[in-house]
Amino acid sequence: MPTTDDEDDLMLGAVPDPDDEATPAERAHARTFAELVDKTLVGQTPVAMSADDRALLDVATVIRVTSGGLPLAASKQRSIVEAALAKAIGGGRPTTTTAELPSAPAAVIPLAGRERRRFVPWAIAGVSTLVAAAAIVLLVVRAPTVIHEVDTARVVPTEQRSRPTDALIGPIARERAGDAATRIDTIFADRLDGYRDRTLGGGKP
Amino acid sequence: MRPILERYAQPLYGTVILPRLGNTASAEEVLRDTLATAVEKIKRFTWQGKSIYPWLRQIAINKVFDVHRQSKRSRRLADAMVHEVAAETDPSSHADAQLIAEQERTAHRAKIDETMVLLAERYRLAIELRLVQELSRDDCAKRLGVTIGTFDVLLFRAVRAFRKQFGEAKGS
Repeated sequence: MPTTDDEDDLMLGAVPDPDDEATPAERAHARTFAELVDKTLVGQTPVAMSADDRALLDVATVIRVTSGGLPLAASKQRSIVEAALAKAIGGGRPTTTTAELPSAPAAVIPLAGRERRRFVPWAIAGVSTLVAAAAIVLLVVRAPTVIHEVDTARVVPTEQRSRPTDALIGPIARERAGDAATRIDTIFADRLDGYRDRTLGGGKP
Repeated sequence: MRPILERYAQPLYGTVILPRLGNTASAEEVLRDTLATAVEKIKRFTWQGKSIYPWLRQIAINKVFDVHRQSKRSRRLADAMVHEVAAETDPSSHADAQLIAEQERTAHRAKIDETMVLLAERYRLAIELRLVQELSRDDCAKRLGVTIGTFDVLLFRAVRAFRKQFGEAKGS
């Protein structure tokens, strides 16, 4: 059984000359790779393999495709085009089955789950319709509520309402025009009084 | 739109996507995403009396970039090919899709040949017999006068050597 260090040497170390004797570890790895190539050549590339083997297999594939091999099968091309159209127009839901799309193995959904998911939009739409219908029925059937209008402005005392400061400050004499700080203090004190009356009287600010 | 997608799917897959990814499953996924993006963004395509292929090709190349960006693995060969994309791509080209695809295939082939020349003769033969001519391991071993086990080692080393040479040649 080759160790991890042996594997690292095999993949990252210098490539031996063709006539150099192979170690048992290299022979074992070479055989594994040869079998991967075998499977790939018949279109049955295993999904699971080491990253290093994947990298080498990618190289082999590049060489093959550049030499004119690996055309896209007509059936596969059709399913890819179909899936692309479905994704672009239908919001990502291919019209072909997921099993026909080998490019998306991670997206395989169990059939039972898919059936359940298919009903989700209908269930949401049904519940929404029922709620809307119930609301309309309630509006029609329910007796009109008597609304007691309260004149809020009359209930809230003047000192707690928004109001102009003209009455508080009065006309500003020319010689006191620059004394704005005093006027602001006066207004602030007046508003603070109203606030305190309100909070100390048990009401919310 | 469907006839356009069907017409260009093969050249996109065979000369643009797969040679840069090396992985058929990923390549099919990228092709599907490329075609879907083309459908979604077809309004942005301005027809100027030339083929739509360069536009599709650019979308495909962008998708390939995305795949490499997301991949954490070191893939020098594929990266080397991706780095050359900018120089090769000419979206304003008036050439027909088949011609562009053929030129691209020839360019890829030349890069592969350049690297093959750098390999030892027996490595070159192993790759040629097994990956290009697609002979069985048994036949390859007989041609080279070795056991199957020895041929497996030869091919393994040959692909490693190719990867190393290609990455170094293009990365430098």
